[in-house]
Amino acid sequence: MSNDTLTHSITFTETPATLTVVVDPTPQITRGRAVVVERRRPKAAGWSLLQGLGVVVDHWRKSFRKLEDPTQIAGTFTTEYPEERLPLPEAYRNMPILLFDDATGHELCTSCFQCQRICPPQVIHMTQAKDPETGKPVPAVSEFIIEYDACMSCGFCAEVCPFDAIKMDHNYELSTADHSSLTVHKAGLLRPVSYYQSIAPTFWAEAEASAYKKLEANKKRRPASIGIAPQMIEQVKAAHKLGDGQPEAASPPAPVATAPAPDAGSAATPASNAALATSEGDLPTDKAARLAAIRARNEAKKAAEQSASPAASAAPTASDGDLPTDKAARLAAIRARNEAKKAAAQAATDPAQPAAEGAATALATPDAPLTDAPPAPATPDAPLDEKAARLAAIRARNAAKKAAQAEEE
Amino acid sequence: MITTDELQINIGPQHPSTHGVFRMLITVDGETVVNLEPVFGYLHRNHEQLAEVNTYLQNMPYTDRLDYFNSMANNHAYALAVEKLAGIEVPERAEYIRVMMVELTRILNHAGAVGFMINDMGAWQTPLAFGIREREKILDLFEMVSGARMMCNYFRFGGVVRDIPDEFIPRLKKLLIAMPAYVDELERLLRENEILLARSEGIGILPREVAVSYGVTGPVLRGSGIAYDIRKAEPYSIYDRFDFDVPVGSVGDVYDRFLVRIEEMRQSRRILEQIIEQLPDASGGHINPKARQNVRPPVGDAYARVESPKGELGFYLVSDGGPKPYRYKVRAPSFINLTPLGDMCRGYKVADIVVILGSIDIVMGEVDR
Amino acid sequence: MYDVVDFLLNTQLGLNSPDWVVMLISHLIVVGMLFVVAPLQVLFLTYYERRAIARMQDRVGPNRVGYEGLLQPIADGVKMFTKEDIVPESADKRVHLLAPIVTAAPVMYMFAVLPWGPNMIAVDLPTGLLFFFAISSISTVGLLMAGWASNNKFALLGAMRAVAQVVSYEIPALLSLLFAVMFAGSMSLMAIVEAQGGLFISTTDVPSVPDLGLGWFVFTPVGFLAFVCFFIAALAEGERTPFDIPEADSEIVAGYMTEYSGMKFALFYLAQYILNFLLCAITATIFFGGWQGPGVAWLVNQSLSADNPAGNPVYNVLAGMLGTFYLLAKTYTFFFVMVALRGAFPRLRIDQLMNFGWKFLIPLTMINILSAALWLAITRWGTAQGFSIIEFAGEPGNLVRWVIAFAVTLVINVAAYWFLARLNVQDHVARQAALAAGWLAVSPPRSA
Repeated sequence: MSNDTLTHSITFTETPATLTVVVDPTPQITRGRAVVVERRRPKAAGWSLLQGLGVVVDHWRKSFRKLEDPTQIAGTFTTEYPEERLPLPEAYRNMPILLFDDATGHELCTSCFQCQRICPPQVIHMTQAKDPETGKPVPAVSEFIIEYDACMSCGFCAEVCPFDAIKMDHNYELSTADHSSLTVHKAGLLRPVSYYQSIAPTFWAEAEASAYKKLEANKKRRPASIGIAPQMIEQVKAAHKLGDGQPEAASPPAPVATAPAPDAGSAATPASNAALATSEGDLPTDKAARLAAIRARNEAKKAAEQSASPAASAAPTASDGDLPTDKAARLAAIRARNEAKKAAAQAATDPAQPAAEGAATALATPDAPLTDAPPAPATPDAPLDEKAARLAAIRARNAAKKAAQAEEE
Repeated sequence: MITTDELQINIGPQHPSTHGVFRMLITVDGETVVNLEPVFGYLHRNHEQLAEVNTYLQNMPYTDRLDYFNSMANNHAYALAVEKLAGIEVPERAEYIRVMMVELTRILNHAGAVGFMINDMGAWQTPLAFGIREREKILDLFEMVSGARMMCNYFRFGGVVRDIPDEFIPRLKKLLIAMPAYVDELERLLRENEILLARSEGIGILPREVAVSYGVTGPVLRGSGIAYDIRKAEPYSIYDRFDFDVPVGSVGDVYDRFLVRIEEMRQSRRILEQIIEQLPDASGGHINPKARQNVRPPVGDAYARVESPKGELGFYLVSDGGPKPYRYKVRAPSFINLTPLGDMCRGYKVADIVVILGSIDIVMGEVDR
Repeated sequence: MYDVVDFLLNTQLGLNSPDWVVMLISHLIVVGMLFVVAPLQVLFLTYYERRAIARMQDRVGPNRVGYEGLLQPIADGVKMFTKEDIVPESADKRVHLLAPIVTAAPVMYMFAVLPWGPNMIAVDLPTGLLFFFAISSISTVGLLMAGWASNNKFALLGAMRAVAQVVSYEIPALLSLLFAVMFAGSMSLMAIVEAQGGLFISTTDVPSVPDLGLGWFVFTPVGFLAFVCFFIAALAEGERTPFDIPEADSEIVAGYMTEYSGMKFALFYLAQYILNFLLCAITATIFFGGWQGPGVAWLVNQSLSADNPAGNPVYNVLAGMLGTFYLLAKTYTFFFVMVALRGAFPRLRIDQLMNFGWKFLIPLTMINILSAALWLAITRWGTAQGFSIIEFAGEPGNLVRWVIAFAVTLVINVAAYWFLARLNVQDHVARQAALAAGWLAVSPPRSA
């Protein structure tokens, strides 16, 4: 404590106006002084009282105008609520809300649990949505609860949300006589993006691009109508004739006749997929079923191809010109070609031909789901070879599927 | 011969002017106070324990609620402590913004404190209303920048949460135009007022030795004549770049503390003007982009203190390497400043107690945590 | 009032009512009006005070209940009526009930001697002024009863303080009013008001001055000093800031009113506001001419009275209305000053209050009486009274004499004020020096 050296003598200098107490020596501090405050005495008895009275009456006089500008210090400062309300700045935060896209109805929330983790009073609770068929988590939220009565509006949830899904609202008129209504569920929390844009245009403008980009990526991973705001679900269903994604409503995949064997070479030519695409009218409208049908068609194609592969593999050197320009499809095609080559080589050098055919027949089954293990090999005495062949078949199938998906988009 | 007896009165937790829930047990002999025992704890909210189960970032909004009048100052002290512990640097522009917010907080605290003290003296809220009007202007600025008026939650480790919007500085300039007029008017109303002088001169004297031995800080200490201001004694943040004076009292009574607070408002205004001048040249952004908010400081401890408007506000943090503090302690200025209350009130009249309490300027949120 | 009623009943309606009937009717009308006027005044004053003090604090005040909040006092009244009446169990029930009555009733009596207009006074007592203040002292007993009956040491403490304050400030109040009795030659309030005709110079001093009703006592140095002293004493009597210790909610909650709720509390409140209204009215009456003002004298000349049977009773009414208007305007102005004082200043501590009253105000008012006597002597005494010092100035009732009186009393009063202020402030300075010395003893200098 080096700056406290107020010591030694204290002298009073008394003039009628001031009673200054000078303390000597005043300490030195950097970039400033330690100033002893001046204790003033009123000049004439009662004069300062009149002065004070004057200040107060002056305020009374000026209070008949409103105080509009921060530079004024007199004038009525009252805002006559509820007739007048003060305009709120953009950054104002009171209670969080969830956002959903106006056009498609998709909620931006993916249930990543970041806001639940950061919330200091732990008032956010959510459940992630699951794909009804596979049971796998989907980037959408099925239930979202915020306890408004305990929320302290700190704004952390809005700060950490990577998807700009939860934002701070401006609504402060939340008084209610019904306490249980302060535990707000998802439907009560959702607002359209246009609402948030109207209350915080600058903030939304900064976040819009990345939010929508992420939303597009997430939309793809949401089956059926999972992740669509309840307010919009009827509209969206009507617009896109989608099912609601429940298992019992899904129609079984329709059996598809094997398509004629397409040209040799890579399985992922855009032309072949275009040929597939032209027959879209034949496909069932149910998305899941459609996908299954497409897969089946591809497998059929692949089976036909595979049966022709030994012949094709005799001339395995296909030029690069045959490869599709799309990178993923190209990679898939290259892989398929390599595998085909390897399989052909195996088949050529090995009397385990029937294994390849067995694999081919396995592929010919129309409704074989991807995740299923391939059926048991026909010849049990060449396990390694048939395993390799099986692997090749699976890889080729995946490549074809990926190419088909790429084409679909 | 009539024998007199000492009367024990309880100025209880429910009282119009005890600055929150605060109880004083006073023993009076006639009208003179013989002993005073403060009793507090009515607002204990388990703040320090709560901090141990929250991560460092999650504690930030809780620090707002310590001294709920000056949320920015609390945030500042806590952010400094964590930055010290974790070794996070703060860019220049962020420092300027921080100091700007803290000095605005100082103005609004002193406006309110002076108002409340005069209110306790019986002036039926007129200086208080004026002070609150100025506070409102500053709170509007806080709302513009952080989203909330009082529970700002504005500071983060390595800076502040967002930069100031464009309309902030023009509005601040307007406010600074009004500020001298406000302080001058307050002085005209009160400084030489005989009644105020009669009520506050020579009342509640806190001798220097007593102040130092109790560990009193802030305007109370400076009113007693010791020019100790942490911003000058141990400059933190960028306070070493600003020119400002430290007002000091001479006698240590209520009048001196009142004058010290008024002068400090003027000095804060000086600092704000220098900030407005220097801010456009500041480098960096509003936050250190490399600072992680989910910080895991290395094992160790740190104590950081700031000159909050009420005194020395310090945070002592002990880290065990995890995301949550192992020990979190708040050195609250109101709590320490309240301890010499008994000594300050002894020998004065009952009517003076409330005035002395008002001159210490306490907030029970800090005292009880 | 008697004349008007007599005119109405006997002349207009032709009833030959005996004297006592006319008197009874006129008195009943007056009393009825007063009993209606008093609470209405209080209602209006509470509203007026809240709006005025709000405006001084840059805010608006109650403006929600009714147009611009004019029904706010009704809402307050309803609240007071419907609150539960809580009596502490260990309290003295009868005294607890009587206390608000004893406090509130006497102040209603004070209305009886207040002159509202020319010939408009309920009871023109020859000792009106004395009656006024004597009755107000009775309500002090009520304060003590309230404090005692509550069986609460805070309340008793508050009551004792309140009584000490009120009693000690009655002395300067009355002393400062003595000059008016001397000037008017009577304690009757009506006579005091009638002595204030003129134009800045009272007609009693200089009869040749045109009578515009502006010869108020406050325009003399004696009256001015008396006004200042009386107003301050009135603030203390009415327990207004800066002397509102009894209702200082920062220390002892509500003082003697702590244990009261509902209508009883409302009665205390009512008593306080009525007393303040009356004190403002008395200030207006004694120092500012009451109902005197430009035009009233002229209207009175035209009106019906015992001296002027040919007058028109309409002029009676007009004169009364104008007089009342002037009185109320002045009263409300003083109430505004009281409200402004409330907004501006902190309150004094009880010992400071007593010091101020006994050591400053009482000597000042005594010196003011001396000045008043000198004034009278200079303006009205001649050789007949054995006062021939200023024979050169001419006859009593001369303007020159008035000027000399003005100068002399001004000098004396200013000197007295200055001297006494200096005396009291000196205490402060001495104490400060002692404090500083003592402080040095308590906290010896530190070595760096």
